[in-house]
Amino acid sequence: MQLASTIRGVSYRFASVKEVLAKANPPKSGDDLAQISARDAVERVAARAVLANMTMRELRENPVVPYEQDELTRIVEDELDEQAFRAIAHLTVGQFREWLLDIDTSGGTLRAVAPGLTPEMAAAVCKLMSNFDLMTVGAKCEVVVRANSTLGLPGRLSSRCQPNHPTDDVEGILASMREGLSYGCGDAVIGVNPATDTAESTAEILTAIDDVLKRNGCPTQHCVLSHITVQMKALALGCPMDLMFQSVAGTEQANKAFGIDIKLLDEAWELMKAKGSTRGPNRMYFETGQGSALSSAAHHGADQVTIEARAYGLSRRYKPFLVNTVVGFIGPEYLENGPQISRAALEDHFMGKLLGLPMGCDACFTYHATMSQDELESLKVLLGTAGCTYLMSLPVGDDIMLNYQSTSYHDIPTLRRLVHKRPTPEFDAWLDAKGIWRGDGPGPKFGDVEAIR
Amino acid sequence: MSRTRQLMDALRDSLGSSDPLPAIPVMPRVPAPPARVYTPKPERSAFAAQAARHTTALVGIGHVGTRYATDVVLQFQAELAVAHAAVSAELPEDWAEQNGFVGVRSRVTSHREFLLRPDLGRRLDDDSLAVVRSRCDKGVDVQVIVADGLSAVACMQTGKALHEAVVRACTNRGLKVGTPVAARFARVWLEDEIGQEVGAKVAMILLGERPGLGTGDGLSAYVVFGPKLGNTDGDRNMISNIHLRGIPPDDAAERLAALAAAMIAQRCSGVTLDLGRLGEVAGGRGYRAPQVRQKLVGGAS
Repeated sequence: MQLASTIRGVSYRFASVKEVLAKANPPKSGDDLAQISARDAVERVAARAVLANMTMRELRENPVVPYEQDELTRIVEDELDEQAFRAIAHLTVGQFREWLLDIDTSGGTLRAVAPGLTPEMAAAVCKLMSNFDLMTVGAKCEVVVRANSTLGLPGRLSSRCQPNHPTDDVEGILASMREGLSYGCGDAVIGVNPATDTAESTAEILTAIDDVLKRNGCPTQHCVLSHITVQMKALALGCPMDLMFQSVAGTEQANKAFGIDIKLLDEAWELMKAKGSTRGPNRMYFETGQGSALSSAAHHGADQVTIEARAYGLSRRYKPFLVNTVVGFIGPEYLENGPQISRAALEDHFMGKLLGLPMGCDACFTYHATMSQDELESLKVLLGTAGCTYLMSLPVGDDIMLNYQSTSYHDIPTLRRLVHKRPTPEFDAWLDAKGIWRGDGPGPKFGDVEAIR
Repeated sequence: MSRTRQLMDALRDSLGSSDPLPAIPVMPRVPAPPARVYTPKPERSAFAAQAARHTTALVGIGHVGTRYATDVVLQFQAELAVAHAAVSAELPEDWAEQNGFVGVRSRVTSHREFLLRPDLGRRLDDDSLAVVRSRCDKGVDVQVIVADGLSAVACMQTGKALHEAVVRACTNRGLKVGTPVAARFARVWLEDEIGQEVGAKVAMILLGERPGLGTGDGLSAYVVFGPKLGNTDGDRNMISNIHLRGIPPDDAAERLAALAAAMIAQRCSGVTLDLGRLGEVAGGRGYRAPQVRQKLVGGAS
């Protein structure tokens, strides 16, 4: 394998596939922090030129964390669909990009090939693609999943309702949740990040949400995003639980910092198959985000896009109902500003979809990142047109517990009208019956919380 | 004119290229929409009244089409501006000495570098290390450090008062408190190096927390037993949201002194510290009180 290229007569050499992958990345403050980024724009293009000539087989043979050192690498390698892999193994990354963009390559074909792709392949092609490229391919991927309702059908845009509360006041959570439902939000999940990480608190919140959903005949899913071990205990207490959640990262070591490993996730998944309260078959919910491995010094010298893709490689083992990147939450030391956060959101959506996941995005910023509200609103439109499965939703986009800015209850109906999308079919029919949303516009009960009992 | 040109013109005409453009519509009467005000008056909506007793989330705010009323937009922009102003403020270089602290700084040299290089914000620069060695009392029970963190505004507003309250509360418990130190461009882990240098049993850093919407004035306190380079987040206990609308400084100081005393008694901190033996006063490993939302935009006064 030749890891060298020439730009205007100057030759560039790279020591490893990992180095090529890192230097091919568009600028990210996190890669600078890790001291692995290209030194200038020309070296970046030189790395991309090398990458464009690398084959998919070579990428499979050179994972950024060695097989012997990392259980994520092992499950990806051991469980790769050989038949799907053979279909694309001979392509260079440059050819693979062109094949993805070809009008004749359909969403169905991409879904068939997905189990033969390693995360490194998805990350590699991502680095050769512009934002428009990422959106074009993202929009044609088709990933449809089901728990209580059916997510990811063409022409649909769903949302998580996120009624967080700084002290888990259940009345406060329910007030925000009812408001969200009255704006047509929450068809992906009603998902609460709890302030208190105990099984009793998790069970209490789930039971309260479950009551409201049952009373109103509302077809969606619920989830309380405590640590997975806490949710397992809550499930043992006998509470309803539609989806089980965990934050995941792209290396074994980074997941260890999250207090998880594959054995634990396997156990949790088995438990959900036995005791989860939906018809399924998809029962898990994962959140990811570029930079999380570096934040625990567990990135093995690899760039944050590639490591992020590896988190998807782990997630797909559990046939999740939801996966989303919390793209702007981690802070400016990993994604400094609006352009970097927007780029990362489109990258993550593309890579997740390409690997066969129902990919959503928490389009967001913290108040110490350099991103304006207008930039964030633009990003929501980019994601909406790129076929993003779901976004978040909160009152005025303001998370009063986690202190960051995301998508609002008002943004979801606005975006659906702008990009001509609808909620899940089950939820759509429910909104119609409630008079909240009719066809592609607000109904008589839109924004009226009294519509939700 | 050629035959071809004639045919093409005829074709364009048949496609409507000579049809008159749509007329400008008749000027309508524009009635003013009904007044919508930020923070719905409780008497106007039973839901808003009920919700306001349980959450500061902006619910019951209504909508125009699918968007916000103008009043809500202005409130939101004011809250955003407050948060951004808190992040971009810098602690003046002479603030420490003017307020009776020994002034130190991290290895960070600019505000942008502070945001992008947390690693540099966790270590003292060479001059500051010498200052700590020459001017700070050694072998103390508790070393308290006030710092800018992600809100210099919060540090300047409440830092001094909280520091004084903590010193009082610790002294009341018979703990020996170190020389007051104030740090610029500081991250939480800076307490490890300072605490290690003075040989403190417990280090405690009080620093501006990452602002939320409309709340740039909160301080967080991180407490660690056996401060030394290499400690991690799991080794610390923290209290956030310290300001007048959240946990008042005097209450926070009592909790912090109780935490420090418990750490010294149990010889540990963080995940291994047994909070059950502390009683209610410490408020758990990471206690956060709810905050109150203020209306920020008013008319001329």
